Amino acid sequence: MKKVFNYLRSMRFGILLLVLIALCSVAGTVIPQGRAVAWYAQTYRSFHGVILLLRLNRVFESWYFIALLVLLCLNLSLCSLLRIRKVVSAARGETERAAGLPDAVRLTPEGVERLRAYLTDRRCRRERIGEVEIYRKHSFGRCGSFITHLSILLTVVFGALALYTPTVVDRDCMPGESIFMEDGTEIHVRDFRIADETGRLDYQSHVQVTLPDGRRSELAELKVNHPFSFGPWKLFQQTFGTAGSVTVTNLETGGTDDFLLTEQTYLSADGVTGILYDTLYPDYIRDPSGNVTLITITEGSYPNPIYQVQVISDGVFTPTLALPGDELTVMNLRFTFNAPVEYPGIRIKHVSPLLNALLVAAFTLMIAGLYITFFCEPVLVKLDSEGYAVAGPKPEHMRVELGEEFREFEV
Amino acid sequence: MKFIFFAAFVLYGIAVILEFTGAAFKKDKLLKSAWFVFLGAFAVHTVFLIVRGIAAKRLPLSNQFEFANAFAWGVALMLIVLRGRLKTDWLSVVAMPAALLVMTYAALQPMEIRDLMPALRSAWFGVHIGSAVLSYSAFVIAGSISLRYLLAVKKQSADERALRQMDYLSYRLVAFGFLFLTVVILSGAIWAEQAWSAFWTWDPKEVWALITWIIYAVYLHLRLRMKRRGTAMAWFLVIAVPVVFFTFAGVNTFMHGLHTYG
Repeated sequence: MKKVFNYLRSMRFGILLLVLIALCSVAGTVIPQGRAVAWYAQTYRSFHGVILLLRLNRVFESWYFIALLVLLCLNLSLCSLLRIRKVVSAARGETERAAGLPDAVRLTPEGVERLRAYLTDRRCRRERIGEVEIYRKHSFGRCGSFITHLSILLTVVFGALALYTPTVVDRDCMPGESIFMEDGTEIHVRDFRIADETGRLDYQSHVQVTLPDGRRSELAELKVNHPFSFGPWKLFQQTFGTAGSVTVTNLETGGTDDFLLTEQTYLSADGVTGILYDTLYPDYIRDPSGNVTLITITEGSYPNPIYQVQVISDGVFTPTLALPGDELTVMNLRFTFNAPVEYPGIRIKHVSPLLNALLVAAFTLMIAGLYITFFCEPVLVKLDSEGYAVAGPKPEHMRVELGEEFREFEV
Repeated sequence: MKFIFFAAFVLYGIAVILEFTGAAFKKDKLLKSAWFVFLGAFAVHTVFLIVRGIAAKRLPLSNQFEFANAFAWGVALMLIVLRGRLKTDWLSVVAMPAALLVMTYAALQPMEIRDLMPALRSAWFGVHIGSAVLSYSAFVIAGSISLRYLLAVKKQSADERALRQMDYLSYRLVAFGFLFLTVVILSGAIWAEQAWSAFWTWDPKEVWALITWIIYAVYLHLRLRMKRRGTAMAWFLVIAVPVVFFTFAGVNTFMHGLHTYG
């Protein structure tokens, strides 16, 4: 049992887990993830059975990948505990132990003087024990490794919670309309545009959130990289769409109706005669002879929108193109084609601000831990009249530095 | 503006040729000339970065060309700083070609200036990508020094102290690069949460940055805890460099994901 425990907390096991996580990650990027089974069968032929069996089509959600992460957490927890115990116990009586060390490098008297000045210049604290001087600095540097490992553990734990616990939904919403969440929260989209004031491509909505308890947010701008948080909700400008806008006037009654169309729709009063809205194209080219070539993709905006509809009359379908401002009259209905309306796709996330804050704190701790580990290495140098010795938990840095600086004074 | 870039590119090339010739024939004058040409190339390169930044009205780090260009500049800067601090010239023979290699990759990329896409307009842009430049540059120089170490061991052309210095310097560079790679990943996570609503999406670029991080984490553990030094660790760092290049260029070339910006 003790052997198992020792192995679980060992660095060897930690490294093995890291290597396995890296290998799984390679597989997860080389093999496209989350496609339909048929796609794997077609692409990988006879090999697809192995892919599906080993869950290589969903590596990052597979039981073995999650098990590796759990084991890594266990390893980090155990080795962090062990590390802090070692750090605390090693710090006790460290100065006395250093004072008892024999000189590792013997220097000339001038070299000793220079080294004394060198260490003082580097703001090392001096302590005298008998004939020996101890110079020390950055004692907290010994905690760097512990802080780093602890922060990695916290990052994995909080990261997993932040990744898997929030509820995320994507909703389209026409400008002027609202989205209602299950708890009664209303998200009102006032307007949306896809270019900023200078004409640069950007995606901006103005939204207002009303919580079930009646609290209402200010009107907030929502755009890429600028989410909006209110209460437990965080809104993201996720995507956008362009809807066709048609006004239908009944010529007999004079009544009108406005329609925003995002998919194929049949507009008719009697179910027999009307127009079938097919789609809206963002741009077109008309050649000198009047032929129109429709352009299906442009970058973001609809510079020259054109409607494609079918006029249905007496069971006959007549494909027709219409520009914004055009009118079509079919029996007693007049269809007026308006400028298209752009609408946002909003990602709505139910988050815990505390969890996000904890995760960011773990990130900060990791950076601090690494900085302390690598750039605040503890200095513990014993100096006497004949030479010096470097002690402490991370002596290599000092040994190399002093070795280079005082080479000429070595005896 | 392209002229400035190609002027720097040609100067780097000349510096590498002079450096190799000087090293092969042991001509100090050539080595000195190589260094001065390299400094000239770096100055022209810096001018190009500034001019491009002014023309683009942003940090010139947004696409493969701009990143590769900054990456090469980072390698050159690191070489200059290290050479100045260590007062040693053996670094140049391995680090100069590394800068030229990255510059060559940059030269093969489309160079036109494009408006920054909305997803990249963020305060994190400079931190995230600037850290990547520093991190990758440090890893490439560490790999170059390790290559020099392996050659020195094979030819028995360096004493124990020089080998120890190379080994130690490689480790310090990895430590520096590792810190900045961590900044890249963590700042990227915070940015991703703002832009895409999730801290981590298993996007290929994210995953390969993590793989690179794991590889260097293993190196640091082997070196710091298991006290591994010398040839094996030098091989480790040399082999790790292609992974860095794959994370930087290979992922964008062969894999599709959220980081496909061109």
